[in-house]
Amino acid sequence: MAWFMGIDIGSGTSKGVITKDGKPKAYHLLPSGVNYKAVAQKLRQELLAKVDLSPKDISYTVVTGHGAGSIPFGNQQVADIRCCARGINSIFPSVRTVIDIQGMSSQVIRLNEEGQVTNFAVSERCAAGSGRFLEIIANVLRIDLKDIGSLSLRSKHPVAFTTGCAVFGESEAISRVSEGISKEDIVAGAHKALANKISTLLDRVGLEKDCAISGGGGLNTGLIKSVEEKLGIQLLVPPHPQFITALGAAIIAEERQNHQKG
Amino acid sequence: MDGGGRIHARVVSHTGAEHRRLANKVMEEVLEQANLPFDEISYIIATGYGRMNVPFADRQITELSCHTKGVVSLYPNVRIAIDIGGQDAKGLKISDGKLIDFVMNDKCAAGTGRFLEVIASALGLKVEDLGSISLKSTNKVNISSTCTVFAQQEVISRLSEGAPLEDIVAGLHDAIASRVVKMVKRLKVEPDVVFTGGVAKNVGMVKTMKDNLGCEVSVPEDPLLTGAIGAAILGKEITLKAMAKGEFIPRKERRLEEVTFFK
Repeated sequence: MAWFMGIDIGSGTSKGVITKDGKPKAYHLLPSGVNYKAVAQKLRQELLAKVDLSPKDISYTVVTGHGAGSIPFGNQQVADIRCCARGINSIFPSVRTVIDIQGMSSQVIRLNEEGQVTNFAVSERCAAGSGRFLEIIANVLRIDLKDIGSLSLRSKHPVAFTTGCAVFGESEAISRVSEGISKEDIVAGAHKALANKISTLLDRVGLEKDCAISGGGGLNTGLIKSVEEKLGIQLLVPPHPQFITALGAAIIAEERQNHQKG
Repeated sequence: MDGGGRIHARVVSHTGAEHRRLANKVMEEVLEQANLPFDEISYIIATGYGRMNVPFADRQITELSCHTKGVVSLYPNVRIAIDIGGQDAKGLKISDGKLIDFVMNDKCAAGTGRFLEVIASALGLKVEDLGSISLKSTNKVNISSTCTVFAQQEVISRLSEGAPLEDIVAGLHDAIASRVVKMVKRLKVEPDVVFTGGVAKNVGMVKTMKDNLGCEVSVPEDPLLTGAIGAAILGKEITLKAMAKGEFIPRKERRLEEVTFFK
């Protein structure tokens, strides 16, 4: 009975997945906080408890993400882009492009039928290109981040954001509120602005169907709709989109182990 | 400003959301300071981002033109004027008192005064104090994030790692200066260089701009007023020219009404 673990320490949240025979058996998520080492240990402990296992039951662990370097355990560290590609491929083998939207960055990954990365583009220098932009807008409008997507779907006249900057976007949102524009029209505009940034990122690597979305952005129905409208395609949305990278890490762990044995 | 170009009154006020009401208030204050009735003002030019929201202005002229005029009146040999404000940064190339080229960033808060405002508030500091704090630094911290939002987080991590506040603040000043200087270098920088806008009131920024440019930088006594001074000079020129030709100049009614787009 071989079990495998993937741990993805992101800038905002840390995710862990345990797999067996290439299938996810347990998921767990914690806020990353400032101490990546401590959160990684807690995440592993709570994740193992979900399937009633102890650390020695795990044959191989792959760690990934922003904080992977701080994790005190794990057999190998693998780049998050590779893990994300492998993870989405395990769920949707037909996917050739994945849009991964996280709290501090967004990335567009092109992959082949084996889940190997063929090209990618990352937006990590500007908050307006990541989920952070929506967090800022949600915060200034006093909306819970998890409600921002469904709220935006109620909009009839999304406002146009004239700026591509999260800081200036925040001021624009405040001005629109003071002009009496509804929150749904403002958040719908913010989703459109982020979709535009994603589209620019896609221009650098090209779009091949099928196209999937992963990361925290995959939980946001409003963002999915905005990206679909902007690109004129349908997106595949995996179950547990936030865990795709951690899942990919666990699957890579399994493959490494089999490779070493073979 | 009188017909001889002498300035009689100056007012600087925070813009806020209601440009129109503010324009009235600024006008009232400046008239009171100069001890003049509104009717006595021969010509009024509005400039800047909110120039269309000055209901009593006789004419609107862009900030680039007014700014050039104002800077040249103070520094006749200026070749490069750099203006860093709260929401944009501009570089103007000037030759023989005329604007010949310009570069501008109003797309991204990094590289504008807004960057300092956001981070000062995260650090619980007043923007006015940042400059003098930065001058105490002996070993400035390099801020690797370009984005204001990410830099704010980076600053907080550096602080929690124990980096001295003055070194972080100096690093922030350097981050803006290097971005603005990189943009302005597209104009081929040559002296004299004049630095204006709200950010030019910051002594730390003036120092780091000099370091980044590698040349001397002049700052006017009131770096926020160059655009308004230029507008007044242009108004004076328009009036004197029309008077010399004996032409009639159309003027708006001299009335300060409470107009607002908030009903």
